Amino acid sequence: MIDHPVPLTVMLAERQRRRAISSRAEPRSSSRPGPHHHERGKSMSSHHRSPWLLALVGALAVCVLAGSVPAEAQRKKVVNIAAKEPDTLDPHTSILGQTQAIVRFMYRGLTRFAIKDGKVTTAEVEPDLAESWTLSSDGTVWTFKLRKGVQFHKGFGEFTAEDVKFSFERQMNRAPGTRFGVNLGVIKSIEIVDPHTVQIALKAFDPIFLLRMVGYQQGYIVSKKAVEKFGDQYKWNPVGTGPFYFDRHSPREKVVLKAFDKFLGGRPQIDEVQWFDVPEDATKLIGLEKGTFDLLYPEAVTADFADQVKKMGAVIDRRGPGGQERFYIDMTKPPFDDIRVRRAFMHAIDRKAIKETLYPGDLARVASSCLPPGYFGHVPMTFPEYDPEKARKLLAEAGHPNGFTIKNYFISKSFFYPKVLTLAQEQLRKVGIIVELQVVEHATYHENIRKNLDPFVLYGGTRITDADPWLSLFFDSKEIPDPATGNKGTNFAHYRAIDDLLAAGRVERDVKKRAAIYAEAQKRIERDLVCLPLSDVPGQWARNPKRVSTPFDPDYGEFSLHYSYNYPELLKVLN
Amino acid sequence: MVQYLVRRLVIAVPMLLGAVSIVFFAMRILPGDPCMAMMGDQATTEALADCTKNLGLDRPLLVQYVDYLWRSVQLDFGTSLREGYPVREYIGRMFPHTLVLVVASAVVAALVGIPIGIISALKRRSPLIDYPLRIFALLGLSMPVFWLGILLLIFFSLRLDLFPLIGGGDLDGVLDMIRSGEFLSHPADFLAGVGDVLYHLTLPALALGFTLAATVSRLSRSAMLEVISQDYIRTARAKGQRERAVVYKHAFRNMMVPLLTIIGLFVAIALTGTVLTETVFTRPGLGKMLVDAIGARDYPLAQGAITVFTMIIITVNLAVDMLYAVVDPRITYK
Repeated sequence: MIDHPVPLTVMLAERQRRRAISSRAEPRSSSRPGPHHHERGKSMSSHHRSPWLLALVGALAVCVLAGSVPAEAQRKKVVNIAAKEPDTLDPHTSILGQTQAIVRFMYRGLTRFAIKDGKVTTAEVEPDLAESWTLSSDGTVWTFKLRKGVQFHKGFGEFTAEDVKFSFERQMNRAPGTRFGVNLGVIKSIEIVDPHTVQIALKAFDPIFLLRMVGYQQGYIVSKKAVEKFGDQYKWNPVGTGPFYFDRHSPREKVVLKAFDKFLGGRPQIDEVQWFDVPEDATKLIGLEKGTFDLLYPEAVTADFADQVKKMGAVIDRRGPGGQERFYIDMTKPPFDDIRVRRAFMHAIDRKAIKETLYPGDLARVASSCLPPGYFGHVPMTFPEYDPEKARKLLAEAGHPNGFTIKNYFISKSFFYPKVLTLAQEQLRKVGIIVELQVVEHATYHENIRKNLDPFVLYGGTRITDADPWLSLFFDSKEIPDPATGNKGTNFAHYRAIDDLLAAGRVERDVKKRAAIYAEAQKRIERDLVCLPLSDVPGQWARNPKRVSTPFDPDYGEFSLHYSYNYPELLKVLN
Repeated sequence: MVQYLVRRLVIAVPMLLGAVSIVFFAMRILPGDPCMAMMGDQATTEALADCTKNLGLDRPLLVQYVDYLWRSVQLDFGTSLREGYPVREYIGRMFPHTLVLVVASAVVAALVGIPIGIISALKRRSPLIDYPLRIFALLGLSMPVFWLGILLLIFFSLRLDLFPLIGGGDLDGVLDMIRSGEFLSHPADFLAGVGDVLYHLTLPALALGFTLAATVSRLSRSAMLEVISQDYIRTARAKGQRERAVVYKHAFRNMMVPLLTIIGLFVAIALTGTVLTETVFTRPGLGKMLVDAIGARDYPLAQGAITVFTMIIITVNLAVDMLYAVVDPRITYK
């Protein structure tokens, strides 16, 4: 006897379960979006009629269903997320945003960003898998005391110092596929003192070592046993200590995660996470309104997107600092080797207009420094204000009274690149700088800018939230790209003027002095006019607040790197 | 006939070889490489060198090519660089989804397009019938499948809530049941599974089928116009045959030859159409997979998928050539 209408998906799932039990077959992975809107009644709008086709097919299913659907199938708390498909679930092997976002559900690091006054902050870290730590007097040996009794998923045993050593060493030894070993280059050796104590010796004092240990990219701890057992297949057999464990992957459809009973912070309230591969933002929005999805990880949050989200009663969770879009000007490439031309370029660009066109209102902020806010050491900088007249004058002074033309300027066809460049192109045209665009694939763009083919480079990105890694990557002379030597660094400005400060900052243990060093670095960058930041764009997800809650304020209540939710275990399904 | 078939199959080998070679070299000519695509802005020189070595991309191109050909002959397309799955297994999983979409869209296109083409040709002097039908054809031709797809989703999925928004249905389950013979022991489960697949297939097949139907209707209209102006049609009418007999017995069969040619081409068009259809309807499938693979410079996956596409097109064209003899007994193969 069925008491109330039962969705087809639940019926099919139940029947599959029965069949699997009766025939001892593996339960088949299903491509149907888990708990449909029909069972929830919490969609953004109220378009809920009984579909005739569903009824027809459902009738067939009803014939074979003996008895009612188990109560737990009805009560299960499932969060449906629309994002792109991750390329792997090994946290050390992918830079993709969606991969970084999903692995946060499964893995933890020794430290985590602290929650202070109800907000997740970037300024401080607190213990996570490590319960405490000490630093030797010479500043080169960190001793971490690990939490006892922390379990890995799927019976892979207790988390120990072995796993810490293994997780970092596999990256330091450049195990195939690992991407973040460079962030651990400061480590000299790792020693296991006892199963719950690990000592990490550094080559030199590293002011941001605890930030490197945050559960993000290189900081995640994987199960040594699992990686050794699965080898190449580990990427789809992930084992961590996070609040959710991996259940299954249907390629090009979805990844299913389930609540981990033995999670160190207690079992999460959500039973299951279904992560769907939805490449189109339009489809994501329809799904949010229909109730198929609860959380969206959009490709780009445009004004239209934000409007639609607002209209349907959903919210956008904005997490700073997110990514920054900025121009680097190659100061070695004529005519930009003349500082007057660089100044003219900056006077020609209306940063506010670009930001307002692409991210109206609070979708982003006009950037205030080449080191974004939220990163240690950030200080506001000033940039030449928008003044096309002044730009024309400067160009004339520099010997370009009629401006000049940049031929074959390469720009990626993806993300924000073509949009920003088209706007900038029009603004530059007004002062006589003609930019002839060649729109290319994203991979080609990355290749070409490292061949120094563009005299100014548009770039974005998120890094460990400290001035040292950020400024080192974009302004250290060691990172100047050079096709002749094969250097594929990202110092597109070809800047050499803060090498001394970067070196000083890396050994400075006094926090205030470090801050002063990076303030000086930003002052020099400001003086030399090699970088023009445009917009600080927060990480943004759309959420159906009738279905899922987070304890943090939607508006910058949480710092995030590539993931939007630092603490997925604190998400709750509302029913 | 058999001789002809063998000859065609022999010719198909160099065609396939040519296609896979072009794909192999074209993928390498494209600027950007898989490591750069995988690492993006975090690609340091050292990391790129490591990655290139790990993927075997540091070997001379010819060595890679010969290795690729040798493995392809054994139907081993390697492993996806990005996701690490064996390409053959991956394609095997995606292929049924694309196949059912292409077949279903072809059915929609044929059921809608051919009758419209025929009616439009026969009633070409009745503006009230011909014009609306031609407008329909024009609409189908000019409306991109992704736009139509989004409209269908908004109307039938969001507003009327009749169809699902995403997914391809439990096709894997259905195929498992067929393979294991379970469909005989659990017929109701099997039917429910098939129903689920059809339920997920309806909107994508309508979207792709409608855009293809427009082409089919235009082409069948002109084929029919050509046939009905032939002498034997006039003769049939002069003999006093009924119009229905003239159309279905004499004209329709003769227009099938050009129409079959169209269907051959049609598969190629439908396969390219699956790329957008699968993306908008968030269905798994070869088309979406191929585009992602090219974007990520996932050489083995892209090569494998294009090889499969090429094989499909060669097979369909061969089948069409064989069918000529069936629909027109005057055609024989020696």
